[in-house]
Amino acid sequence: MKPTETVLNQLRHYRRLADITQQELADRIGVTRQTILSIEKGKYTPSVALALQLAEALSVRVEDLFQLNKGSPDDGSGNA
Amino acid sequence: MTGQATLRPWPLSLVSCVSIVLVAAGVLLTGVSWWFLLISAAGAYGPGLLREFGYLHDRDEFQRMAAYRAGYHAYLISGILAMLLVAFFRASDLQFNDLEELATLFLTSLSFTWLLSSLIGFWGAQKSAYRFLLTFGIVWLAFTILSNTGSEWRGWLPLLLHPLLALPFFILAILSLRLPRLAGLLLLVSATALTWFFQFFQRDNLAIINQAIVFILFIGPLVASGIALLSTSTLRSSSKRSQGKGNDNDNTDDEDEI
Repeated sequence: MKPTETVLNQLRHYRRLADITQQELADRIGVTRQTILSIEKGKYTPSVALALQLAEALSVRVEDLFQLNKGSPDDGSGNA
Repeated sequence: MTGQATLRPWPLSLVSCVSIVLVAAGVLLTGVSWWFLLISAAGAYGPGLLREFGYLHDRDEFQRMAAYRAGYHAYLISGILAMLLVAFFRASDLQFNDLEELATLFLTSLSFTWLLSSLIGFWGAQKSAYRFLLTFGIVWLAFTILSNTGSEWRGWLPLLLHPLLALPFFILAILSLRLPRLAGLLLLVSATALTWFFQFFQRDNLAIINQAIVFILFIGPLVASGIALLSTSTLRSSSKRSQGKGNDNDNTDDEDEI
């Protein structure tokens, strides 16, 4: 089981709602655009600190951005 | 999205630029004295040491994670190589005195595995494979053109035909973006064919060490890209099956473009 297979995220959805690009979001919280891209594609699950920074930058709750995948850990479900 | 045209930032940080310059300078100066290789060591390992001691904070957590995973991969590959060589030399009666060759092999294995893995971890399999193959194609193209236009002019036909050998690299580069599974399979087949064609590991003398270094440098990127593309596309397709939705090509998103 991979860590990224147990967490779903809505980062892309909320970023588009906020009308900002990946680069702009990355600049706001001091990471690379590749980090934002990898989180959005479900290839990387951020730390709690980064998740909180993302939520603050997008003015949403962290649980709106990230949800635990309640399905079977072995079903291979990735992020949205 | 704002829709405004913005300039992309320079992809390399100041630390990376300094590191590359030091590594290149050290390697070039080895022609004067091999002690200058220590300059390369400072460039290659200095930033990592400074980060570990907390003096340098130039990387975000995703970059650090990619670097740590790459370190683990380098440990695995170099460990397996070390075991193989220990078994080989202990089992045979061969005497091997060229210790610098062995050290070079381990340095190549360690550094190249780390580099490939960190690039694949940071860029992702498709983008990494695309860039590796593009680099291979361009280097081969330059090599064939220069070798045909150098001091020995061989005519127009070789000049036009030899660069065609670079074409498979460019085709595979495009395939790695469009059909990653097929590209991964073709890369592994190509790596096997090239290993057979150049007869790596088929001689019974100790040139095997040099062959192994050449193998790591030239076949390594093809194997690494092939495995990464196959594993990524397999993981993605199983994820899509379980979700019952999605497009198999992530590059349809404009912000995912290379």
